[in-house]
Amino acid sequence: MSGSPYAPHTTSETTAMLDAVGVDSEEALFDIPESVRFDGEFGIDAKSEQAARRAVASKLADNDDLTEFLGRGHYDHYVPSVVDHLADRSEFITSYTQYQPEVAQGFLQALFEYQSMLVELTGLDVANCSMYDAATALGEAATLADRLRSVSGTRVLVPDLLHEGRRGVLDNYVAGGDLTVETYPTTDGNVDREALAERVDETTAMVYAENPTVRGTIEEGLDTVGDLADEHDALFTLGTDIVALALLEEPASVGADVVVGDGSALGLGSAYGFGLGLFACRGDREFLRQVPGRLVGASEDSDDRRAYTLTLQTREQHIRRERATSNICSNQAWVALRTAMHVASLGPDGLVELANDSVRRARETAARLDALTGVQAPVHDRHHFREFVARVDQPAEAIAADLEAEGYAVHAVGDHEIQVCVTETNEQALDGFVAAVSEVVR
Amino acid sequence: MSFDIDTDCRYLESHEWVRPDGDTARIGITDFAQDELGDVVFVELPSEGDDVTKAEEFGVVESIKAVSDLYAPVSGAVVAVNERLFDEPELVNDDPFGDGWMLEVAYEESDLDGLLTAEEYRDQTE
Amino acid sequence: MLSEKGSETVEVDSELPDDLTRDSLALPNPSEPELARHYTRLSEMNYGVESGPFPLGSCTMKYNPKFTEDLAARSDASIHPDRSERSTQGTLGLLHELQTYLADIGGMDAVTLQPPAGAAGEFTGILVAKAYHEANGDERSEVIIPESAHGTNFATAAMAGYDVVSLPSNDAGRVDTEALEAALSEETAALMLTNPNTLGLFERDIEEIAEMVHDAGGILYYDGANLNALLGRARPGDMGFDVMHYNVHKTFATPHGGGGPGAGPVGVTEELTEFLPDPHVRATETGYETYTPDSSIGKVHGYDGNWLVLLKAHAYITRLGDAGLADASAKAVLNANYLAEQIDYEIPFGPFHHEFVASAGEQDAADAAKRMLDFGVHPPTTKWPEIVPEALMTEPTEIESKRTLDQLAAAFNAASASDTDTIEHAPSRTAAGRIDQTSAARNPRLSWQALEEEE
Repeated sequence: MSGSPYAPHTTSETTAMLDAVGVDSEEALFDIPESVRFDGEFGIDAKSEQAARRAVASKLADNDDLTEFLGRGHYDHYVPSVVDHLADRSEFITSYTQYQPEVAQGFLQALFEYQSMLVELTGLDVANCSMYDAATALGEAATLADRLRSVSGTRVLVPDLLHEGRRGVLDNYVAGGDLTVETYPTTDGNVDREALAERVDETTAMVYAENPTVRGTIEEGLDTVGDLADEHDALFTLGTDIVALALLEEPASVGADVVVGDGSALGLGSAYGFGLGLFACRGDREFLRQVPGRLVGASEDSDDRRAYTLTLQTREQHIRRERATSNICSNQAWVALRTAMHVASLGPDGLVELANDSVRRARETAARLDALTGVQAPVHDRHHFREFVARVDQPAEAIAADLEAEGYAVHAVGDHEIQVCVTETNEQALDGFVAAVSEVVR
Repeated sequence: MSFDIDTDCRYLESHEWVRPDGDTARIGITDFAQDELGDVVFVELPSEGDDVTKAEEFGVVESIKAVSDLYAPVSGAVVAVNERLFDEPELVNDDPFGDGWMLEVAYEESDLDGLLTAEEYRDQTE
Repeated sequence: MLSEKGSETVEVDSELPDDLTRDSLALPNPSEPELARHYTRLSEMNYGVESGPFPLGSCTMKYNPKFTEDLAARSDASIHPDRSERSTQGTLGLLHELQTYLADIGGMDAVTLQPPAGAAGEFTGILVAKAYHEANGDERSEVIIPESAHGTNFATAAMAGYDVVSLPSNDAGRVDTEALEAALSEETAALMLTNPNTLGLFERDIEEIAEMVHDAGGILYYDGANLNALLGRARPGDMGFDVMHYNVHKTFATPHGGGGPGAGPVGVTEELTEFLPDPHVRATETGYETYTPDSSIGKVHGYDGNWLVLLKAHAYITRLGDAGLADASAKAVLNANYLAEQIDYEIPFGPFHHEFVASAGEQDAADAAKRMLDFGVHPPTTKWPEIVPEALMTEPTEIESKRTLDQLAAAFNAASASDTDTIEHAPSRTAAGRIDQTSAARNPRLSWQALEEEE
């Protein structure tokens, strides 16, 4: 067998089909000028499934087995088995975008439920059914600000501590329009509200803040940021994540017009940055017209039963082309499905408990590290969520490398700062970790 | 199929009608246009006080799967907008020359020059 | 609906000060058995590639091999992106190998894996073209796109700040070189093209087109949506394309996931390599490392893209090898041509490759598609490209056998033979009847909260 293992044709079938078409060979069907025909090789040998699996697995095995205490926007929470098994059902994972709603009610309903969960968690009226990741969702929020008639100005203000990946993507998303990105200062990890107030004016299109911040601190007084943006006809976009939303101040109640962030903290776990971009916004008419991404709406079928369908599609690229609200087509629907399953599996109690644990674990772990000679933690005199920054007397890079040799991964975020993230997936390794830190910081 | 055509109106080839009435004129889209579009789900219009310019875009009308620009048959300031369309876009389908009107504009009579007559518009659509 | 199976409102109690927390949270609270039944029931109301033929044109709905899922579920694939390169040699090695595979398959010199979808790949490619022009002190303002191109092309060009110049097709359904000549100027930043085009036709004049674009100082961009037609037989790089994206969820069989995630790697020629996104993976004497290309456009994803999707694509290519990839294209093209022979609808343009666009003629293509649902198959893409009236854009892919293609053809022909009243009221045998999309758009209800308010 020298063909594709996933093409079912027998030789006689192929012959019969060629006859029906009226050609001698498959090659005769290719209408490619001789001058651009490729007659070389890629040099990739076909393999049995077992051999292909072994080839990839043996490569993967070159990844060291480390216990990660890593976060900064990409988080690892325990994903229940039920999520894997249900999401892997072929009717979900092998399906396409729901352009034929009559045979896609299942996925549509699941996405509608996902949207609804975000509506509850954010307090905003509308959530789309996914962006690629937190960074691209932030980029989309900025271009949304640019399109809204109720928003004036061209400056996008972001915290000076903004994650470099998010900042990089934002810079590219605004490059095609008139927007410019500027930073405002933070103080002790959080928004410096006075300094921000000096920078917000009528030329401001959007103010962006995060809660929790990239350094794990919990913001205080976000409502004043919301007011500030509102007073100057700017959009207030809040970055957060799906777990933090269950506990921290409801974005709508602090005046957020848009919520973006990471949803894959539930449903996916650590996946080398593979994520899920949350996107929710106000439901006023103008926002509804301008929101990027796919939306599932409720409707009725011909028998007046409740049914679901993609809706308001005229915003999207396949219809509005160069005037679309975004170029996004493929999104992260299947990750959204997983996230919704995980949220449902936790229930409100479980989700709030997980969020509370995230506060407790950060506090307790910081205290344990702070007790070590050569470490002060946390650096910021704030409440923390999941992670915190610690000051180390030794160079941070050296500490991180030494810890890696002991089997642990942490961030080196400054010359003498490491960042540590604790969840239920690494909590059981804390004793060993703290012991290792105490060894390497001396 | 035959479509309603209002003999009191003048037309653009792009299927907008204008019906002069004293100093102002109403603007909408034709029966033919609404039928081509299918079920209208959204109409985007300028605000009162905005200016529209003859032969230029003044808004957008959308069905489920299509978006069409609206062109102004005449120039002038918008004196009234049919805000009912925001909640009942189906009026464009149900009554394109009546309740489905879109704008009322303070226009110049000379702007009517060059627009199609009802007769000429009928010829175009047949 | 999940919320109707028992929602619970919990008061939020926390060690945090009250003013930093929300008051309450109301969410569904199913038990695990209830949850399992809920989603199993939903899955039963959803059509996937394993449910039956899925000939959605331009989407390449292939079978998604199961073993790739098992590889993606491995714990050594589940790593954080901020780990040291020293500790992630496995991931970097796989990424590097995939970069090389894709570069060879496309005839490109370097490939970035960062873009998380095809449209993101387009955006990356156009940003690379823009950076290239800017590096030459050459500000250009237009991107030329054939009228029949994917909507993402237009939206991408606009997002990157370009004016779109739309290019009409000639009578044969291909690029009109005279119109192209007229459209090209010193403002032309790029021409975006897919080949074979959305009608399945190979752009026979591709070398002349490339020369024209290059003579005008423009970049030739390849939209990889239709690459499944060419594997091992022709390469965009050899045709003169400077930048291309690959849709691994189409060509390389990673699952579409109900709309995503995909991945949209981008290949470039040598002279554009310095503009690729940050970071880029390269081999060293002892292993692999990442670096920032000299004139990098920066980031298009917060980290390094949709890793687990890329992993599955790697596994697929590893499994098929040269012979399997070439055969996949051969069978995809054979299947499209065989299916076309069996259906009664007219197909105005040819010779086509992996897909064809039939016309529903006097029927409404969307209605005809609904009727096909009654025969247990998924219908083709409808009403696009518009160059074919009432278009039925059909791509069976290589995974269908003669028997399932005959079954699919029977569904086409049953729809073709149905009267207007029947197709307007179809489908009648699906879980849901025809869904009222008009009322969904006129009265948007986008959450269960909105439904509850209504009651």
